[in-house]
Amino acid sequence: MIAESTRTKRKNRTRHILMKAAFDRFARDGLAAARTSDIAASAGVSHGAVFVHFPSREDLLEAVVDELGTRVARRIHELSQTGASVKELLEAHVQGLAEFEPLYARLVMEESVLTPRAQSGVVMIQSAISEHLSHAVARESAAGTIRKMPFHLLFNTWIGLLHYYIAHAASFAAPGQSVLERHGPALVKHFWGLIKE
Amino acid sequence: MKSCISCGMPMTRPEQFAMGDVSKDYCVHCARPDGSMQSYEEKLLSMAAFIVKTQGFDEQAAAASAKEMMARLPAWKGRASHET
Ligand SMILES: [Zn+2]
Repeated sequence: MIAESTRTKRKNRTRHILMKAAFDRFARDGLAAARTSDIAASAGVSHGAVFVHFPSREDLLEAVVDELGTRVARRIHELSQTGASVKELLEAHVQGLAEFEPLYARLVMEESVLTPRAQSGVVMIQSAISEHLSHAVARESAAGTIRKMPFHLLFNTWIGLLHYYIAHAASFAAPGQSVLERHGPALVKHFWGLIKE
Repeated sequence: MKSCISCGMPMTRPEQFAMGDVSKDYCVHCARPDGSMQSYEEKLLSMAAFIVKTQGFDEQAAAASAKEMMARLPAWKGRASHET
């Protein structure tokens, strides 16, 4: 029994280290370009050990996107207080994404290489923010403080703006700089100016 | 932090739990009016409708995304994503 649980613990720890290495490598090298052999090397395990935990590279990438989706959703949820205003939620969204920007940027730029399962992880992130935002927009729209418009168009206009900056970070930020930290506040201010009554 | 077993929404405040009951494993959006948890079919429809309404997806694309999302959640794990 004791040997069994030690083995399980070690296995979980290896999985955790592999996930961490995969997070970094997929963010740095790209979703299509990152190599499992490099992920193994970063994690300090043999190449074969990767496939003990993840049957295929696709499974590993799905697990990474899944984990990112869960973390971003939780962070946005934490930052989104009950009764938060639309403007506060936009700020929370920018801050939540900025904490995971390198990997999130890869998802934005390389969504087409993802399996349907992994792609749904991206939809999950959008659903987490739209869940909070749609309630605040309904409230403020009823109060007459923001203009009336279909919610999905308001949402997609905002996402389109954010993703344009994220996908073209090389043009908008210095090397290694977070484009969301640099431009996030101005984007929130600008978008707010477009929707407010 | 607890997450809804049916839709994955993080639950931190009582009003986010079904019936405001923090011992429940599913959220207010996944509960029927009587407090029981919605079925797979009910949840799939409401999740797809939510994606259409808030993100402007095509109905079929939204249903496909909802199926994939649900396939990873504890309440529905093991159900192949091509099943309905
Ligand atoms: Zn739920």
